[in-house]
Amino acid sequence: MRHALQLWITGLGLIVKRFALHESHFSAAAVRPACTAWQSALSHSECWRRHISRMVTTEYVLPEQWSEDLKDENGEPMSKSEFKRRQKAQRVAAEKAEKEAAKAAAAAAAPPKPAKEDGPALEDDSNEITDPTAYFENRVRYINAKKAKGVNPYPHKFHVSMSLPDYIAKYGSLEPGQQETETTVSVAGRIFSKRASGSKLLFYDLKADGVKIQIMADARNSELSLEAFTAVHNECKRGDIVGVEGFPGKSKKGELSIFPRKFMLLSPCLHMPPSAHFGLKDQETRYRQRYLDLIVNSDVRNIFHTRSRIIQFVRRFLDTRGFLEVETPMMNMIPGGAAARPFITHHNDLDMKLYMRIAPELFLKMLVIGGLERVYEIGRQFRNEGIDLTHNPEFTTCEFYQAYADYKDLLDMTETMISQMVLEIKGSYKIQYHPEGPEKPAIEIDFTPPWRRISMVSGLEECLDIKLPTDLESEEARQLLVELCIKHNVNCPPPQTTARLLDKLVGEFLEEQCVNPTFICDHPQLMSPLAKWHRELPGMTERFELFVNKREVCNAYTELNDPIKQRELFQDQAKAKSAGDDEAMFIDENFCTALEYGLPPTGGWGLGVDRMTMLLTDTCNIKEVLLFPAMKPEEAVSKKEGDS
Amino acid sequence: MLSSKNLLDPSQRLRRMRPEHRSVSTRAIKTADKADVQAGPGVDGPKKQGAKKSDNKIAQSASSPEEIRDIRLKKAESLRAQGQEPYAYGFDRTHFTKNLQDLYVSLANGAEDETGAVVAVAGRVVAKRVMGKLAFLSLRDDKGQIQLYVDRNRLDEAQPEGFNTVKGLVDVGDVVGCSGTIKRTEKGELSVVATELKVLTKSLLPLPDKWHGLSDVEKRYRQRYLDLIMTAEVRDTFRARSRIVSTLRRQLEDRGFIEVETPVLESIAGGADARPFRTFHNSLGRDLTLRIATELHLKRLVVGGFERVFELGRVFRNEGLSSRHNPEFTSVEIYQAYADYNDMMSLTEDLIRACAQEVRGSQQVSYQGVSIDFSQPFRRVTMAELVRESTGIDFEAAMASARRTADSGAGASAALEETRAAAEAVLMAHPDKDVRKCTAKVRSAPSLGHLLNEMFEAVGEAGLVQPTFVLEHPVEISPLAKLHRSKPGVTERFELFIYGREHANAFSELTDPVDQRARFEEQVARHNSVFQEKQKAKLEAKAAGQDVPSQDEEDEYEVALDTDFITALEYGMPPTGGLGIGVDRLVMLLTDSPSIRDVIAFPTMN
Repeated sequence: MRHALQLWITGLGLIVKRFALHESHFSAAAVRPACTAWQSALSHSECWRRHISRMVTTEYVLPEQWSEDLKDENGEPMSKSEFKRRQKAQRVAAEKAEKEAAKAAAAAAAPPKPAKEDGPALEDDSNEITDPTAYFENRVRYINAKKAKGVNPYPHKFHVSMSLPDYIAKYGSLEPGQQETETTVSVAGRIFSKRASGSKLLFYDLKADGVKIQIMADARNSELSLEAFTAVHNECKRGDIVGVEGFPGKSKKGELSIFPRKFMLLSPCLHMPPSAHFGLKDQETRYRQRYLDLIVNSDVRNIFHTRSRIIQFVRRFLDTRGFLEVETPMMNMIPGGAAARPFITHHNDLDMKLYMRIAPELFLKMLVIGGLERVYEIGRQFRNEGIDLTHNPEFTTCEFYQAYADYKDLLDMTETMISQMVLEIKGSYKIQYHPEGPEKPAIEIDFTPPWRRISMVSGLEECLDIKLPTDLESEEARQLLVELCIKHNVNCPPPQTTARLLDKLVGEFLEEQCVNPTFICDHPQLMSPLAKWHRELPGMTERFELFVNKREVCNAYTELNDPIKQRELFQDQAKAKSAGDDEAMFIDENFCTALEYGLPPTGGWGLGVDRMTMLLTDTCNIKEVLLFPAMKPEEAVSKKEGDS
Repeated sequence: MLSSKNLLDPSQRLRRMRPEHRSVSTRAIKTADKADVQAGPGVDGPKKQGAKKSDNKIAQSASSPEEIRDIRLKKAESLRAQGQEPYAYGFDRTHFTKNLQDLYVSLANGAEDETGAVVAVAGRVVAKRVMGKLAFLSLRDDKGQIQLYVDRNRLDEAQPEGFNTVKGLVDVGDVVGCSGTIKRTEKGELSVVATELKVLTKSLLPLPDKWHGLSDVEKRYRQRYLDLIMTAEVRDTFRARSRIVSTLRRQLEDRGFIEVETPVLESIAGGADARPFRTFHNSLGRDLTLRIATELHLKRLVVGGFERVFELGRVFRNEGLSSRHNPEFTSVEIYQAYADYNDMMSLTEDLIRACAQEVRGSQQVSYQGVSIDFSQPFRRVTMAELVRESTGIDFEAAMASARRTADSGAGASAALEETRAAAEAVLMAHPDKDVRKCTAKVRSAPSLGHLLNEMFEAVGEAGLVQPTFVLEHPVEISPLAKLHRSKPGVTERFELFIYGREHANAFSELTDPVDQRARFEEQVARHNSVFQEKQKAKLEAKAAGQDVPSQDEEDEYEVALDTDFITALEYGMPPTGGLGIGVDRLVMLLTDSPSIRDVIAFPTMN
């Protein structure tokens, strides 16, 4: 079968190039490691299926444009995503072929390297094995051979005297050609490229901590004989982790380098690394194998540094204001503090059903009752919901509670915190953001305080030029909202409760206005069962949500601390739940009891850390800001593709 | 001032109240001061003197919580009727009580603050006495405590009927806000002389009568908020916890580590040997497990080029509860490229010393009456040495002998069986029943490595009171640790023991993907074969008509191999040292708490 396919490919000229990429998968199909090949987003069986199908109609050529009635080589309709995938594969293969042709031409033009009489020549990237499976097998053979000789290919320790950023800071200002031969430094990192120059000199690019220096390995500086030097360096390939001890200096061209006296392979990369040119762009592979993404795409690393800085900023902001960081349970008997579908698990020993938390709110308020007047928790929440551009089943929030503060205090605090955060991390109140991805136009978001504040119901009334009934709980009000939704073509799936109808209309008409940071305030009580009734606006609560780029980033309120009122509102939620709103809140009797011991007047606040990170890293998919986002099982993905 | 340790219980408080028609005189004030000092929070146990009947118009004494709740609801209504919302919206506090105590530390007894500056404080009323035209309230906030000195004339001047409100409608347990000037009473009690006093939150339930020595200790954990209100040590413990966590973070960040977040929900639970929690994701239609460790994800990040990472967060193990185990607990896992287990030992010492210094201000701490010394380099001793010390059994020799026979092609089991017999003999002769119980595990140990570990757990651990690094665990029980660079059969691993408890676990990380795959496969095969045997035995028992407890089926679980992790290793992980520290246990140690439940705000309860 395999031979047949190769014959077929060989006979096809252009199509060979087009499918060169798949050819390598195919030949690897029987071998496990191919599933980890750099560009592979397909399972083996899928590769098989595609190749076999292509064998049937060899003259199939992909058209330039996709159309509804497009058929594949088997006469089956082709989905747009399949078309795009093939188009991309075709483009990549063409580029690769072009590059190889150029390389071959260059090699033919260049004078032949002088043959070495004393042993093998130095090898570099140019004579790399190109087949991923053969590559992997070759490297496994290499480490096994070392082990057989009693040499550990994975040394236990290499002393690093200096990080690469420190190295650059210290020696970056050397003059071209200058060398500090009396200094000894040891550094380590991953090899990104390897070029031989003659029989005694090699250039490597070494990367660590997101920066790069050059290794100029000259046999004359090495402690080893030329033969041993050649052997050591011929073992080292692109992608390997190496340790280098040597002296700092710059090449004549001015490139900051380290000149090794010792060179040690610390951890071989068994797989062929992605080429510097093509990189790793496939999103599925990037998320599933984040370690590859981090190795190849240096900006990804910065996203997670920014994320870490955001969290540090929030911690510092709250710590300096006397807040105490605490940890409350992630598994509870009752999932409270928000309206969402929870994950359910089971404790074997106690034979007890437990829910993963959907919010830490109720526990944090209990700590305020206990006398910890300013508490916060930064941590994971879990919601058993679908996965999309802004939702992951687990996500990170910061919630804080401050006794004796109200939502007005929190409005000011939010402006201060977020605007200072943006200024510190981005260097300006104004940021560029690509709401539809890097290819589409950018917008500017201006965090300069103060921010606009819209009172929800009056804002909606103004926007729709209507007047809502004072009693929002009435059936009349609900009917009016149903009609408004119909009139404005706003879809509200059942159950069409007042709260849900309002939420949809607000989403359509108010949130849409909130590109620059905007507070939507004073939510009706029926949308906010944990917030305190408004001291001036009947039927409303003292609550606000902060929207940026039309997305909710913060949610805060003066906490409802009247236990009688809280119980009533929980009862309403229970009614909504039995009426079919499965996102209505659970009643937490323990929490109600705690309230009866007295919760001081308290302001409570929540921030979506992932969404904030998306804004400050200019990303529009939550998966970009999560190191290991939740993914569909791979079988399901390939099955779906197979179906299409 | 007495240290605030314990709240008054309300019954005592009632008995201490004075008749209301008592004339105000200097003497009365002095008496009040005296009574106040005696009655102030910080006094443990009941007070015998001063028992008088309540002055409250709405009687409180001898009522059930339900009756008190009704009475207080009526008081809330009375407040509303007066135009005062019993659940206020906020309060502009100018000072924490602690600030005032510091600010006026030199104010003489009997002196008033001459500036007449008006301050505003807020907090919970933890004691109250009314004496004629005077009332004394003890107010506690986040940082400390102060007396509210309520003089009818002064208060009513600015807030008509204010004094009657205080007298009749404010209960111990209420949250109040108070403005006024500062004076220190003759007895030396710093006080706010109230010119305005408002109920901010009306409490409906009375604070418990007896908290200390409560027979139902579980109530403390179930109603942690009450525990916090009633007990200063509990508040201190959670403040210390926060400082320990923040010290760990600061120490690591100062060393260039970056904090990351890896998934809690995973398809395969790895990185430890423990039964995971399972859950189901509806929209993916997929079973997930809760992480039992953060190790495998963090190591992927080291592969990705984050050379120094840590994660401080929750992990979950589906196991029973004990004084050292909660199903969810907090760990910090730390990975440092180009470091090994020796480096991790230094890091461990540094981190623990920094935390001890932060919360105890000393390198000598007392835990459950035992003095623990962190100032000296922690003892380092191999597991085999410890077992030889306490049992005379030489596992190194046994392992060497097993290797020789294995090399010569003869069965390696002779050394195992010989050592097992010796181990059983030692355990059976042991005076401690719990140690003798370990014989069963010794009997079923499948290898010398497992046997050594069982013996260590049976006789070695408990004696390690001072900080001790136990080194070089057998490879069979350390599937993620690198083989020792010079000693066969053991790994570059350590566990830190203090007070007989494991506090940290670390290794030179295994970076060889071929070795890693082999060890995982061996581990998975062994685990699942035991699982399947039990399943089979159960089925047979069922077939034979015997009763099989259904609970048993859930006792067992299968494990799977994380091939993606091995793939990550195949891309090359630098030599790396990894370290895990149990945060809860560290907090227990440094706050002198006997149970893990004392350091988890809301522990899992049956």
